[in-house]
Amino acid sequence: MKGIRGRLLEVDLTRGKTNDRPISDEMFEKYLGGRGLGARLLFDMLPLNTDPLSPENLLIFLTGPLTGTLVPGSSKFVVITKSPLTHGWCDSYSSGRLSVELKKVGYDGMVIRGKSNHPCYLRIDESGVDIRRADSIWGKDSFETERIMKQVEGNTSAGVTSIGPAGERLCKFASINSDLYRQAGRGGVGAVMGSKNFKAIVIKGTRKVEPHDREKLIELNRKNVERSRKSEVAQARMKYGTPLTLNITHFGGILPTKNFQFGTWEKALEKIDAEGVNRHVISHKACISCFMPCGLMTRVSKGKYRGSTIEGPEYETLSMFGSNQLIDLLPAIIRANVLCDKLGLDTISTGNVIGFAMECFEKGLISPAQAEGLEIRFGDSGASLAAIEMIANRQGLGDILAEGVRRAAEHIGGGSDRFAMHVKGMEFPGYEPRGAFGSALSYAVSPRGACHRRAWPPAKEILGDYPPYTVEGKAEMIRDLYDENCILHSLLVCDFHSKFIPLSLKDYSQYFQAVTGESLSERDLLTTAGRVETLIRMFNLREGLTRQDDTLPHRTLFEPLPDGPARGQSIGGENLSRMLDEYYESRGWDSSGVPTEQTLMKYQL
Amino acid sequence: MNVIINVIGPEITLKQEIDLELVSPTLRDVVRTLLGEHEGPWERIIRNDLSLAEGCVALVNGRNIMSLEGFETPIHEGDEITFSVIVAGG
Repeated sequence: MKGIRGRLLEVDLTRGKTNDRPISDEMFEKYLGGRGLGARLLFDMLPLNTDPLSPENLLIFLTGPLTGTLVPGSSKFVVITKSPLTHGWCDSYSSGRLSVELKKVGYDGMVIRGKSNHPCYLRIDESGVDIRRADSIWGKDSFETERIMKQVEGNTSAGVTSIGPAGERLCKFASINSDLYRQAGRGGVGAVMGSKNFKAIVIKGTRKVEPHDREKLIELNRKNVERSRKSEVAQARMKYGTPLTLNITHFGGILPTKNFQFGTWEKALEKIDAEGVNRHVISHKACISCFMPCGLMTRVSKGKYRGSTIEGPEYETLSMFGSNQLIDLLPAIIRANVLCDKLGLDTISTGNVIGFAMECFEKGLISPAQAEGLEIRFGDSGASLAAIEMIANRQGLGDILAEGVRRAAEHIGGGSDRFAMHVKGMEFPGYEPRGAFGSALSYAVSPRGACHRRAWPPAKEILGDYPPYTVEGKAEMIRDLYDENCILHSLLVCDFHSKFIPLSLKDYSQYFQAVTGESLSERDLLTTAGRVETLIRMFNLREGLTRQDDTLPHRTLFEPLPDGPARGQSIGGENLSRMLDEYYESRGWDSSGVPTEQTLMKYQL
Repeated sequence: MNVIINVIGPEITLKQEIDLELVSPTLRDVVRTLLGEHEGPWERIIRNDLSLAEGCVALVNGRNIMSLEGFETPIHEGDEITFSVIVAGG
């Protein structure tokens, strides 16, 4: 099959050995790559009940069959592991030069196991693979690590990925950083890397990926560039980036506010929304392999945080560090974004857990003494920024918060678990589910915990024709959204082109054919999605997660939302139970969420 | 009657208060008035036949008109009408 390399690099950090592992065309045909291939590899290669922070856990970096080509948005990669946050499946996505260089040096992915007895980094180029000492960069932040790595290599076009101090200290929501501003943020992949004494990866390849039909690829791109020019949606996205989402979540009543106590926040408008961010933009940026520059470089030009520069903040950061903490000072949010990226923290989980700490403090469940004198109140941006550093350094209260919101609530007690906003231990992202019931189901059944990447229900419930405050039809709606994203995340292409140009599964079938020379119908793709989602379910089941874990916090289930269009709404236990029953049935799983024999046979699992 | 208009697209205008001389109007009546009497990027949002342009939606008080009564949705004093492109993701 064209486009793929047909081999993985296996690295054993305990023994200091590496070897190549062939991957057959059949595996790519059955699982595509990325999320799909990762599901097969993790299921087959990870020993049962592995401690996520033990040497036995696997850290799998994967590209997709379209990586390294001209297909728009194809410079993504995924990191797959068993999550230290949830003790279940974890796939965390990022993009950048690393994916392209990995493919150029001749691999579709890397499987890393073991633990080095000293800090190390992995260096790969055409001359071979080296595991090198990283003593001199251990303790450095991600920005500094990348700068040093490129300086050492004398090669600014090398792909570099690394962890910051938060990953080294095993913060349970530590990220892996690439190209300075890109994060594999969710699920604690950075902690798994840190647990292996594994600081960074540097890759430089020279062999370009040759597609099956280059002319066809160029023709498809020409057509789709033209479509994007005519699309109001694409034009708005390129101008405003993801902050545009905040305007809609506010008006739709699903903007998380004050640790998910409210669904709207008027003060966000023109301060931390699309217009507010736009006033700080210094340039627009596109990923490698993309013709849509939807990334925004922002800089604070005056005041206390002057000079803070970041690609972002994205919507998720604006909601979790802005409305969810009642902070309307954009320069402080930009600074928070810089700190999280440098220290190697997921901005979603970090913002969520700080919002939780603010509510605990205001309810008297955390004393200033426990917080090392910090009065961590809603609206206090200084306290929020201090908390980020305390988490990364595991200092005082930060050590508790670094365990994630579920474990923090267990430690703090006093009923705080009722407003610890997570599923399976992973913190809610920036959407209030009481204002769009499909989001509630999507969070509940997501195998990696509360997640906005499996599905984006507001597209249907706020911006589409699905009534938001009912459960009817939501199971099939979520299944279909999951399947579409599963395909995109297995091909490993950006979600956004399918929403904004918009590219359909048929368009991606054409791209797949142009790159690989193989035909896949839309039906084939959807069958693959069903297979992959079922296999990931099997992984979580064997690791001990059950229907009881497909649930939601007390606040979401039973506290009526007090404001906005969804005023008075809560999900309710019966509604969740009905949506779960219907979702499992739509997947061919039994009422406990276990795939039936018939379903396993259908998907050849 | 007063209504509040928001436009979210390649250009953004928020919280524009508009005084309409209409009695018990529907959204269709309001849109017709906006097109005829008020400046705005309407041609990018609303077609000549008063349908929404491709990729655009309308919300009344945060609810998509597709899950209300479409352009026949009644509009009341103080209602907030939001025209938006279909944003997605974060």
